[in-house]
Amino acid sequence: MSCVVVKTWMPREESLLADVLADARVWKLKDASAAPARPVWSTGKSSLDARLPGGGWPTASLIEVLLDDTGLGEVQLFLPALVACQASRHGSDAPWLVWIAPPHEPYAPALAQSGIELKRLLVVRPTTATEALWAAEQALSSGVCAAVLLWLKGTDDRWLRRLKLAAEAGGSLGVLFRPEKHRFEASPANLRIVISRGEPCARVDLLKVQGGRPGPVDLGEP
Amino acid sequence: MKSRAAKSRTADLFAAAERRAEISPALIPLAQPAPIPLAPPQARKPHAPLRPKQLWYAAVFPDMSALESSGAALQKLCLHAHSFTSFVSIEPPNALLLEIKGSVKLFGSLQQLHADLDDCWRRLMLPAHTAVAPSTLAALWLARAGGASQIEDTDLPSRLAKVPIACTAWDIERLQTLRAMGVTSLGELMRLPRAGIARRLGPAVVGDLDIALARQPAPRRAFVRRERFRERCDFETEIEHVAYLEKALEPLIERCARFLRRRQAGIQALQLKLTHRAGPATRVQAGLASITSERRRLSDVLCQKLTRLELRAPVRGMELISGSLRGLSASSLDVFAGFTGAGSRDSAPQLVERLRARLGEEAVYGVCLIAEHRPEAAWRRVHELHLTAAARVAEEISDQLPRPVWLLNEPLPLPKPEILQGPERIESGWWDGKGVARDYYIARQPAGRPPGEGQDGPGHGARLWVFQERRSKRWYVHGVFA
Repeated sequence: MSCVVVKTWMPREESLLADVLADARVWKLKDASAAPARPVWSTGKSSLDARLPGGGWPTASLIEVLLDDTGLGEVQLFLPALVACQASRHGSDAPWLVWIAPPHEPYAPALAQSGIELKRLLVVRPTTATEALWAAEQALSSGVCAAVLLWLKGTDDRWLRRLKLAAEAGGSLGVLFRPEKHRFEASPANLRIVISRGEPCARVDLLKVQGGRPGPVDLGEP
Repeated sequence: MKSRAAKSRTADLFAAAERRAEISPALIPLAQPAPIPLAPPQARKPHAPLRPKQLWYAAVFPDMSALESSGAALQKLCLHAHSFTSFVSIEPPNALLLEIKGSVKLFGSLQQLHADLDDCWRRLMLPAHTAVAPSTLAALWLARAGGASQIEDTDLPSRLAKVPIACTAWDIERLQTLRAMGVTSLGELMRLPRAGIARRLGPAVVGDLDIALARQPAPRRAFVRRERFRERCDFETEIEHVAYLEKALEPLIERCARFLRRRQAGIQALQLKLTHRAGPATRVQAGLASITSERRRLSDVLCQKLTRLELRAPVRGMELISGSLRGLSASSLDVFAGFTGAGSRDSAPQLVERLRARLGEEAVYGVCLIAEHRPEAAWRRVHELHLTAAARVAEEISDQLPRPVWLLNEPLPLPKPEILQGPERIESGWWDGKGVARDYYIARQPAGRPPGEGQDGPGHGARLWVFQERRSKRWYVHGVFA
């Protein structure tokens, strides 16, 4: 597709095409939206899966979830992925899930109900935001955690970049929950979504999707 | 008559076992699976050929009984003896017993091994009487009798016959009784009827004779050295920065890891002592999530502790002290672990201990289910994590209404909400004074003020897990469906 467009712009020489493609300002839509080599974990909502490149939450990446309230089904969006990635390996190298600074106590019966292996769940309660970020970086880069969920009030761009690099190094799924006021700040996260309350159920907006189209998503019934 | 003799024989066995309360079957160095003879030993053919499965070397140090701390001295000698065999046993007050059957081939011949062992004591300037025999007591008695002697199994009774009874170290009363009977050597004692000896001198004597003649196994407790790594390093200049300490710590940890690897052991605790010019030393304690000997894990956990440390004064020296050594359980290591990509650099115990070293023991925990109807009691925190092996246990999930992901620490009161689903009655716990009688619903957070004062309370539109107290009819929120 992009080939055709380029040719109409620059009809003179064939070799110019390579020069144009080498230009950093030219973004090739086709390559970016190609199915990623990394596995993805389904979100459990078909309408959301359809909007994400590869059809689910990308692994080895940082996902930023912006929301002001709890209770909007934000964890629910990740539970199927957590169960799936725990089941991907068995035995002694079964991956761990780490929840850092959750706003309330994670309720074991609910997690067991959804199929999470509790023996491989670690809850970390740091006292400061820096410690929480440090713990998240350690867990993400360790390679033994399939997913790290982190709840924070606020952080800066530098830490987000460190988290993203750690997630890529460790091959884990990093999920960061932050208040919605950070919506207009720049963020290196691979995927940014906003969850806000709506009628009859919560609204999900894709703010930034690497290799996909941003925009609101209709989740259907909760 | 025969049955009575058999009975006394059984009694002997039990008495012998009771007398040696310290013995543990796990420590038997492959004793022959001795069939307990139902017939008394006299009924056997004379000199029934018993191939010796063990060879015991006894060393008696006559000068040592005068020493007060003979126990400690013997333990030190055990360390020397460990270079000849792995099984060394202490016979208080002044003797060592070594099982040397397995070492004969290594040292060439039994004569050579015997000579090497005797040489060892000579070099330590310790006069010793030594003997080799197929049984522990025979070797010990022969050694006490003096004269370096080696005996094969076939002539064991005849060689033992010449040993005076005083060498047996039985108590004075028994020896006096024996002397009064005109018995001065073991040969004379062995000629007496077995049942008679047991009746007059107690079953212990018969048991000892059986052990000495290798008719009965006599397990012994092996000496296991209790050691730990302890090494200090003094600095030429005083160190004020923790970063330099970490650098200086590296060789110590390297040596500690090598020390552990050589012993195929691991540790679960480490201590670092930092000495100052004045005042008491600073001690840094570090715990490990599992037994390990890996250098990286040891240095990781200590460095995490060090980074949080505030030095009171410049450090002049440091000492690394390991906790007690534990056996490393065999686990297969992945040869290709380093090549499979970035994903396999750490292990779960390593991550947990690193987090705990910085955030504190209590800050890192797991959760588990408890079979209990009251929602707040249906789970608890667990601090002992199953780090190495996880068996996927199918947790029993009852077909109750969905549970919320977040549970509030305390139920918060709220006005009557908009019910979405329910009720589920939970009435339990009358027996321990914390009884509950509640009807649980899934509800929607009404518009207006959020429950409680906390800022992170669920907002309007959130799905809540609420209950109505059945007695007071009041409404509370207990969880949030996130």
